[in-house]
Amino acid sequence: MDLPINRNVPTIMHIDLNSCFATAEQQANPLLRDKPLCVAAYNSPNSCVISPSIEAKKLGIKVGMQVRDARLIYKNVIIRTPDPPKYRDIHQKFCKIFRDYSPNVTPKSIDEAVIDFNNVPAIKRGLVEIGREIKRRMRKEIGEWISCSIGIAPNRFLAKLGASLHKPDGLDVITYENLEEVYGKVNLIDLCGINTRFQARLNAYGISTPLEFLQAKCETLQHQVFKSICGYYWYLRLRGWEIDAVDFSRKSYGHQYALQRHTSDPQELYPMLMKLCEKTGRRLRRSENVAYGVHVSCVYNDHTYWHQSKTFRTPLYTTTDLYIKAILIFNNQPERKKVSQLAVSCFYLVPTEPEQLDLFYDLSSKKKKVSEATDKINDKYGEFVITPARMMGMKDTILDRVAFGGVKELEDLYGHS
Amino acid sequence: MNETINEKISVVTVYDQVQGLVIPKKVKWQGRVYEITKIGYHHKVKEGNKLLHIFAVSNDSIAFRLRLDTDNLHWTLEEISDGLAD
Repeated sequence: MDLPINRNVPTIMHIDLNSCFATAEQQANPLLRDKPLCVAAYNSPNSCVISPSIEAKKLGIKVGMQVRDARLIYKNVIIRTPDPPKYRDIHQKFCKIFRDYSPNVTPKSIDEAVIDFNNVPAIKRGLVEIGREIKRRMRKEIGEWISCSIGIAPNRFLAKLGASLHKPDGLDVITYENLEEVYGKVNLIDLCGINTRFQARLNAYGISTPLEFLQAKCETLQHQVFKSICGYYWYLRLRGWEIDAVDFSRKSYGHQYALQRHTSDPQELYPMLMKLCEKTGRRLRRSENVAYGVHVSCVYNDHTYWHQSKTFRTPLYTTTDLYIKAILIFNNQPERKKVSQLAVSCFYLVPTEPEQLDLFYDLSSKKKKVSEATDKINDKYGEFVITPARMMGMKDTILDRVAFGGVKELEDLYGHS
Repeated sequence: MNETINEKISVVTVYDQVQGLVIPKKVKWQGRVYEITKIGYHHKVKEGNKLLHIFAVSNDSIAFRLRLDTDNLHWTLEEISDGLAD
């Protein structure tokens, strides 16, 4: 199969806030501007850098680095812990600006969004002009320190690549005319979706540059390199045809927690598990679903990983329902090692209504009512005002966080705006 | 350095009818009055049904994070920062 490069006019704009969390902190506090700053999960040496400022990136500080290593690079690097409500507010403000240009705005994460200009009158003004205006408006309406990189292309994949070409504050257009030139300037791992493993796989088939990737035959990609339909998708994607405009429905709810102090003591881990179940349960109930499956995973401090999921015949709705099943799974660990990360999720979601009531003794209905009453109290007075006793002393543990690269939690955000 | 304070404070504000903004102008904390020259960011946070306004404000040497509780109109100084490393 031979498919030409997409020669249509670019209609997709990808907007990416530069160093989002760090920039947001510098916006809020001008005394932090022009200084190497990192937003880290905790202000402790072992903690992970989530967002280095542009100044910190110039020194070589990267996402994922430990705070201790960032301090080795630059002794006086400023460390701040995340402020999720602020970042969500910025996200809502920039999405509001984008919706002035097109109703088809898809948030890709807390700091990225895609605007689809197909069949939208604004496209007549030209996307480059609109892109410049969006940059101006973000500075005026959100904050003068806020900058973004914009990519304009015929599909989402190339628009994202365009947004990554000149950081910070870039604006790049990729069309059939400059596609090969752009591919000639980047590496395979600069392409969104290609990391070291896919790179190694492509290398094994003699593909070592994006240009060679573009020139590879569809059959080679599908039957040899990827050995699946993914090869065909890559063939289309690289040529500017849209394959990623897919809205994946919600399949699960879950939370995870990176422990500041690694432990194998169940008496310390059970309350954490309960808090994870409470957070998961709150979102499950808000979505008006019940779950029939629970998944528990642990990352140990020796970097090994264990996980197990189970499905159940009875619907799970309350926090206690989830907790009992999570404990059941958690206790199946083959050995008790020190846990560094703990995660709980529930899956097999089914809408709560209609509900089959028990004819003789309706315990589930009573539990449900209690759960809904406690949820109402927490809705009125704030999260964790009323909690299961198991969660005592957990107030400052498992804090509010922004999911990395995730957009699913934004459903909750829009649900409450 | 960043320091958590969480103390009630006095704030002088101006309401700008044209822009529709409330602008903190002065903060009195521990007997000293600080002029505010810049509003870095303002956002709202819901704590249950309670609406809080968070103002990140500063002058040339110190930054404040202020919270206005719309239930009782009390101002709280949440944090101060001098913009230096800890």
